[in-house]
Amino acid sequence: MLMIENCHLTWPDFVADYSLSVKSGNLCAVIGPSGGGKTTLLHMIAGFETPESGRLTFGGQNLLPLEPAKRPVAMVFQDHNLFPHLSVTQNIGLGLRPSLHMTDDETMLIEETLEAVGLRGFGSRKPGDMSGGQRQRVALARALVSGRPLILLDEPFSSLDPTLRRDMILLVDEMRRRRPVTILMTIHTPEDAADVADQMVFVADGKVIASGSPSSILNSSLAPRIAAAVSNS
Amino acid sequence: MLTLRLPHPGSLVAFAILALVAGGFIALATFDGGTPTLFSIGPYLGRVLAFSIIQATLSTILSLALGIGLALALVRRVFPGRSIVLAALSTTMVMPTIVAVFAVFAVYGRSGWLAELLAFFGWETRFSIFGYPGILIAHVFLNAPFVARLSLDGLNQIPAEHWRLATAFGFTPTQVFRHLDWPVLRAELPGISGLIFLMCFKSFAIVLALGGGPSRSTLEVAIYEALKIDLDFGRVAWLALIQLVICLSMTALLHWAFTRPPVGHTIRNLVRRPDAKDRRLRIVDTIVLTVGALFIAPLGFSVLTGLRNILDVLDEDLFQAFVTSMIIAAAAAVIACLLALALASAARRRRLVLRSPRIAAVYDFLPDTLLAIPPFALTAGLFLLLQRFGDPSSAGFILLPLINGLAALPFAYRYVAPHLLNVEERYGRVAASLGVTGWAKLTIMDWPALKRPLAAGLALSMALSFGDFGIIALFGGTELVTLPYLLYERLGAYRLDEASAIGLVIVLVAFLLAHVSGRLSHADD
Repeated sequence: MLMIENCHLTWPDFVADYSLSVKSGNLCAVIGPSGGGKTTLLHMIAGFETPESGRLTFGGQNLLPLEPAKRPVAMVFQDHNLFPHLSVTQNIGLGLRPSLHMTDDETMLIEETLEAVGLRGFGSRKPGDMSGGQRQRVALARALVSGRPLILLDEPFSSLDPTLRRDMILLVDEMRRRRPVTILMTIHTPEDAADVADQMVFVADGKVIASGSPSSILNSSLAPRIAAAVSNS
Repeated sequence: MLTLRLPHPGSLVAFAILALVAGGFIALATFDGGTPTLFSIGPYLGRVLAFSIIQATLSTILSLALGIGLALALVRRVFPGRSIVLAALSTTMVMPTIVAVFAVFAVYGRSGWLAELLAFFGWETRFSIFGYPGILIAHVFLNAPFVARLSLDGLNQIPAEHWRLATAFGFTPTQVFRHLDWPVLRAELPGISGLIFLMCFKSFAIVLALGGGPSRSTLEVAIYEALKIDLDFGRVAWLALIQLVICLSMTALLHWAFTRPPVGHTIRNLVRRPDAKDRRLRIVDTIVLTVGALFIAPLGFSVLTGLRNILDVLDEDLFQAFVTSMIIAAAAAVIACLLALALASAARRRRLVLRSPRIAAVYDFLPDTLLAIPPFALTAGLFLLLQRFGDPSSAGFILLPLINGLAALPFAYRYVAPHLLNVEERYGRVAASLGVTGWAKLTIMDWPALKRPLAAGLALSMALSFGDFGIIALFGGTELVTLPYLLYERLGAYRLDEASAIGLVIVLVAFLLAHVSGRLSHADD
C-alpha cells in the first residue's frame, strides 16, 4: 500500500498538501487541471521534491529519508526519457545497472522485456531513429525491467495520437498483470484509462480533491471540473 | 510586353561583396612591382605557417582545457558572486585584443605585477613574455572564458528529466560525466575548437605586439609586414591566397559542424546535479576555479588600474581618437546591419518563397566566408583600386568602416537572419493571403520583429569595431588615430600608465555596447 498522509510542500507561489492511499498492485489514474500539482505529487513520491511535513510510506517502509535512487520507484516522463547517445538496450540497461556492465541474464531479461513491449529487434537502435510511441515503449520497458514495485508515469503518452495513446495504456495494463506492480499515472484524458484503472484521483490546487473508482469520480459532482480541466489541457 | 525585373537587393549585395573581394585580389595580383613565385617565398612561408599552426594548436588546447574545466566547475557549484563570474565570461567576446596585450604586459611584463611580486620575495625573474609565452597567455585569457561560456550554455540545456533519471538511477560522478556532460561537450567541441583555432590562426594584434620578432609571425602579421615594411604586393597576394584557402576550408567545416542538436527545455533552478555532493569533485572544482581565477582575474583587473590614470590622458588626443573611433564604429555597424538585412532577406525568400534551400544556404554561408578573408590583403587590394579613381590619402576613412563592417557582418547576420525567417514562417501566409507585400510587409510584419535584433546586431557590431586594432595599423598616423591605435602607440613607448587608462576607456565602451546588445537580444526571452 502506498500511503501519503498530509505531505506539505511550499513554494513562493504554490502550496501543496497531499493525502492519498493506493492499494498495492493497483493502477491509479491521476487527473486534474494543468498546474494543479499532479506532477509535483509524483515528484514527491520519487524523491525529487521533499515535503516539509507528513508521512510517505510504501509497503510499510518510510520513503522520506531515502534518496531517489534508493526508493522502490521507477519513473517515466512525458519527454526526454532516453539518452540519445545510448542504444535502446543500453537505455533499458540503465534501469538495472548504471555502469552498463550487464550479465548474460540481464541482457536476456532486456531482450524479453523488449519483446513484451513489442520492440523485438530494436535493441541496437538509437532513440533518434525511433518514433515517439516507440521511445515511450522503451522507457516503459526500462521501468519494468528495473524490478521496482512502484511505477510512476508522468503523462507518458500525452504527446501521442489518441489511438496510439490508447494502445500504450492497454500495454501498461497488460504489463502490470504479468508482474505485480503499483502504478500511478497522470493523464489528461480520463476516458482513456476509465476502463483499465482501478482507482482515479482528482488533483487540483495542490490537493487530492477526490479519490475512488473511475466511474465514481467521472460521474460525481466533479464531472464539470474534470471536463473543464480536460478541455483546457 | 517585355518587363524588366530588378534583382533582389540581397542578390545585389552578394554580388557586390564578391566583386569587392575579387577586385581587391586581382588588383593585388596584377600590381606592377615584382611578383615573387610561391617557390621564392617557400622557406619563409614554411616558417610562418609552422608558427601559425603550432601557436594556434597550443592556444586551442590550453583554452579548451581551462574553459571546459571552468564550465564543469561552474555548472556544478553555486557560490556567492557566481552570476558576476558568468557575466564576466560573456564579455571576453568583445574584449579588444590590443587591451589583452596591455593586460599581459601589465601582469607578466618585465616590470609587471608578477615580477614585482617575485622581487618582493627577493626572486629575480628572467621570464620574457615575448614569443610563445605572451601569445599563449593572451590567447588563453581571451578564449578560455569564451569556451567556458559556450560549454556552459550547452550543459545548461540538458533536459531536467535526464537529471531526474540520473538521480533516480543513482549515477556516480563518472556516470554523470559519461551519460550527461560528455555527450553535450562532444557535440560542442568540434565547433568550439575549430572556431578558437581559426581565431588564433588569424591572430594579428597579439602576435604583432607579443611575437618578439619576424620569426614569430602569423600569416596575418606576415601580410601586414609585407605591406607596411616591404611594400611587396606580390608576397601579400601569395600569403593572402594561402590564408584564404586554409581559413575558407576551416570556415566551411565550421559552418556545417557548428549546429547544435535540438534539446529539451529545462528549468535549471529546480534540478540538482547528483554529482555536486561528491567530495573529490568538490576539491577538483575548487582547484579549477582557483586556477582560473588566479589566471584570468589579474589580467582583467589590470585594465581597471587605468582608473587612477584616467585624468592624465583626458586631452585633445584622446577626445579626437574617441570621436574617430565612434564614427568609424557607427559607420561599420550600419554597413554590417544593412548588408545582413539584405542577405538575410534574400536567403529567406529563396528558402520559403522560391523553395530553393541550397541557394538560401549559399546566402547564409557568404557572411561566414568573410571570416576567412585576410583583411589586410583585401584592404591593400581595395586601396590599389581606390587610388586609380581618387585621392589615396582619404582611403583610410573609406576602407576602415567598410572592412570593419564586413568583419562584423557574420555576427550581425546571426542576429537578423533567424528572426527574419521566423516572422515569415509565422505570418508569411497570412500576409500573402491579405495581399500585404513590399513596404507594407516590411513595416507591419517584419519591422516589429526585427527592430530589437537589428539594434542588438548594431550595438555588437559597434562594440567589435570600436575596439578593433587591425586595419588601423596600416592607416593610423597623424591624420587618422583611433583609440586602439593610440593604445598601441603608448604600449610601443612603454607608457603603461597612459595605456592602462586608454585601455579602460576602450573596454568600458565596448562592454557597454555589448551589454546593450545582450539586453536587446534577450528582451523577448
